[in-house]
Amino acid sequence: MTILTGRKIKKIYGKRANAQEVLKGVDLEVQEGEFVGIMGPSGSGKTTLLNVLCSIDFATEGVIEINGRRLNELKEKELATFRREQLGFIFQDYNLLDTLTVKENILLPLSISKVSKSEANRRLLELTKLLGIQEILNKYPNEVSGGQKQRTSAARALISNPSIVFADEPTGALDSKSASALLKNLEDINRGKRVTIMMVTHDPVAASFCSRVLFLKDGQIYTEMYKGDKTRQAFFQEILNTQSVLGGDGYDA
Amino acid sequence: MTLSSLVLRSMAKNIKHYFLYFFALIFSVTLYFSFITLQYNPTVLLESTGMKPAAGFKTASVLIIFIVVFFVLYANHLFMKRRSKEIGLYQLIGMSKPLIIRLLGLENIILWALAAGIGVGLGFLSSRLFALILMRLLEQQVVVSLTFSTQALKQSLLLCAGLLLIVLVQSILKIRRVSLLSLFNASKQADERVKRFSGFGMVMGFIGLVAIGYGYYVSTQLFNLENATVNTLFIRMIVILAATIGGTFFVFRFSVSFVLNLVRMRKKGHLSITDVLALTPIMHRMKGNAKSLTLITVLTAVALTVLSLSYIAYYSSASSAQQSVPHDYMLMNGHGVEFMDMLEENNIAFKSVTFPIIRANVDIANLLSGSLAESGMLNTDAETDIISLSTYKQIHEDFTLQEGEGVIVNHGGLLAEMLPMKSNRPATVKTDVWQESIKIVSISDESVLSTDNMSAVVIVTDAMYDRIEASTDQSKTRWNEQIGINLLNKKEDLNRAEVLYVESGADAVPFNTNAEGKVYYKENMSQEQSRQFNIESMGVIIFVTAFLGLAFLLATGSILYFKQMSEAEDELESYTTLRKIGFSTSDLMKGIYVKQLFSFGVPLLIGLAHSFFAVKSGWLLFGTELATPLMITMGIYIALYSVFALLTIRYYKGIIRASL
Repeated sequence: MTILTGRKIKKIYGKRANAQEVLKGVDLEVQEGEFVGIMGPSGSGKTTLLNVLCSIDFATEGVIEINGRRLNELKEKELATFRREQLGFIFQDYNLLDTLTVKENILLPLSISKVSKSEANRRLLELTKLLGIQEILNKYPNEVSGGQKQRTSAARALISNPSIVFADEPTGALDSKSASALLKNLEDINRGKRVTIMMVTHDPVAASFCSRVLFLKDGQIYTEMYKGDKTRQAFFQEILNTQSVLGGDGYDA
Repeated sequence: MTLSSLVLRSMAKNIKHYFLYFFALIFSVTLYFSFITLQYNPTVLLESTGMKPAAGFKTASVLIIFIVVFFVLYANHLFMKRRSKEIGLYQLIGMSKPLIIRLLGLENIILWALAAGIGVGLGFLSSRLFALILMRLLEQQVVVSLTFSTQALKQSLLLCAGLLLIVLVQSILKIRRVSLLSLFNASKQADERVKRFSGFGMVMGFIGLVAIGYGYYVSTQLFNLENATVNTLFIRMIVILAATIGGTFFVFRFSVSFVLNLVRMRKKGHLSITDVLALTPIMHRMKGNAKSLTLITVLTAVALTVLSLSYIAYYSSASSAQQSVPHDYMLMNGHGVEFMDMLEENNIAFKSVTFPIIRANVDIANLLSGSLAESGMLNTDAETDIISLSTYKQIHEDFTLQEGEGVIVNHGGLLAEMLPMKSNRPATVKTDVWQESIKIVSISDESVLSTDNMSAVVIVTDAMYDRIEASTDQSKTRWNEQIGINLLNKKEDLNRAEVLYVESGADAVPFNTNAEGKVYYKENMSQEQSRQFNIESMGVIIFVTAFLGLAFLLATGSILYFKQMSEAEDELESYTTLRKIGFSTSDLMKGIYVKQLFSFGVPLLIGLAHSFFAVKSGWLLFGTELATPLMITMGIYIALYSVFALLTIRYYKGIIRASL
């Protein structure tokens, strides 16, 4: 089943003479249960694409459908509700509220939903167990490590049982050990709970956890690769090769 | 880009942040200039005879200086903090500190020159308005002519120059002291906010609440003479101030977080969006905000108390006059009875009541509460005015008394507060020959006679009255008869009657003749004269305090606004996050309303409570009416104060809209 469809997505910043076309007509489809990575050189439009897909930003042209709802037909308030109920977000700099405890941060998206407290607690227990953060529930974000913060952020993204989770460079601020732990968690959740995940990354290691990787170049999809039955190591090699074809210059790392 | 164009650009960009500051500066200069103008205006000086308004204006202008200095220092401190990153950036690109100081200096000079210019201009225009308001308050009808006062201009410019200097020195000190790195982190430094909440804080929070409660309790006992010594009043005042101000600080520092923490713990992690936006930021910011909130609360309380008391005094002009002169006119000892003939000749309808009065000692020891009578501080056995039941019946036809009973009237105001008496107890009447106990069946504050020291008057039955008169030497009784005259058509006849009253000479009563035959006169004001006297003496005070109160309000309101502005910017990131994960602007605004209700409401509420108890303990010294003037003052204050809350909410709305 298709969760997300994008048709001819264009994003243009600025006007007329200054106009800069960041996305030049991107088409893509994401099936339920996929773990999609988006890679590409800096300035290729990765983050813009993610922002447009997740309704934080508006596409200049094109159609985006998530779970059968067309985003450009929704009003601001409906979009907010849609994001809260259907989408989950993980950001590079965690974006946790530092006046809230870890537990309060995780439960935040449910605060104006109709989910009962006992159901919320059940989900909280399940997710924190899965992510290994039961011990820090009553701590404040500034009292825990970066990896724990990002896992908190992941738990927050998953607590509302979203149709799709968007992750923007989730490992960007983490050391390699925390990064692979987090990716392993995401992979487990993707497989175990059939949660669809879409992740922007510039890190080939992170991308190698995905089931499919899209390469973006100059605002267009350059190529895409499926992991299939390959091992993570083999997939990683393949990604590295593609990257070198794309050109090493201007890579952020 | 030259330095001046850089300055102009940064000012244009910061205009949104500046405008309230700028407005407050202009207002202060306007107020200052007007007051000084009035102070040197000959018309204002001549017309008000009761008091010297110039002295009032002078005090007010000095107070304005204090308010403005305090306000400007605080506002500039906040601005420097907000702009620390900008200043850091200038340094980073290689500007020297002296250059940056020149930059800031230039900015401030422009700002102050504008404020001074506009303020003086508005001040000149508004001084006429102020003069009109003052004359209206004093019930004087004169044409006020105002000229531009160079003296006022000089002093206003001097004030601006002085304040500019203070601001510059503050900025220079700040820039010179800090390192580049700390400038970049300055706006984050206040954010050592996320702390756990300890048991210690809870105890302190509880103590704060108790301290305020105790202060309030003592304030209700301020004039209680039981167990009182000479220093009691002074000590009590110190206790009240210490308990309430200290308590206020504790409340902000500890109690608020303590209470909110209890609420939060009960939620067990399931916070609503309102909790997230209102409850938790308030809790975590209380440590840094406690001092300024205490200050704002205390300033609010002081302003409100002074405003309320002076308005009470002004508002009570008429009823105070009625208390000291119970009828439109009181003729003493038959002096000035010609006045009544003159009224008749002029066809002014009136009704007169004659009160024959005798004096005898009445011991009221038993009416007072035990310890007060025993303390020995009071002479409970004093000469008291006595009138008969039939005299009293002239004004209250249905009133009756049994034999052996009596009634006390004229017992009101501060005296009644300090010497509370209980009815249905015995008092002893002591004549030269006999003494007898009568039962006092009721005690009231009704003003019946015009007495010298607002002392109480005893009403006894006619038989008792005759017996007292027969057995006491009445030759020393100063006022043995009062005639109360009330005009029947007061509205139409009052002005004519007032003229006649003065013509008849009844307004001065001879009360003593010395050995050489020189006669001493006592002023015997009519009720209207007394009311006008009150109005004139209170008019200037209410005028001055009202504008000072406004200056206080503006200073505290602006400071709260500035604080909220920087809080909003600090929390911008959270708003962005919340909007990204799917909360709409209106969801967030709901939380903001609650937060603002708290940020503005709590200092206001505590300030109101403080001033309520302060006014309640001392209002009897100022007037005779409490509820109406107090409610009017507080109502106006709350309304004006809310404007700042609304401005803040508008600012938050802009921030949240732009946050995604």
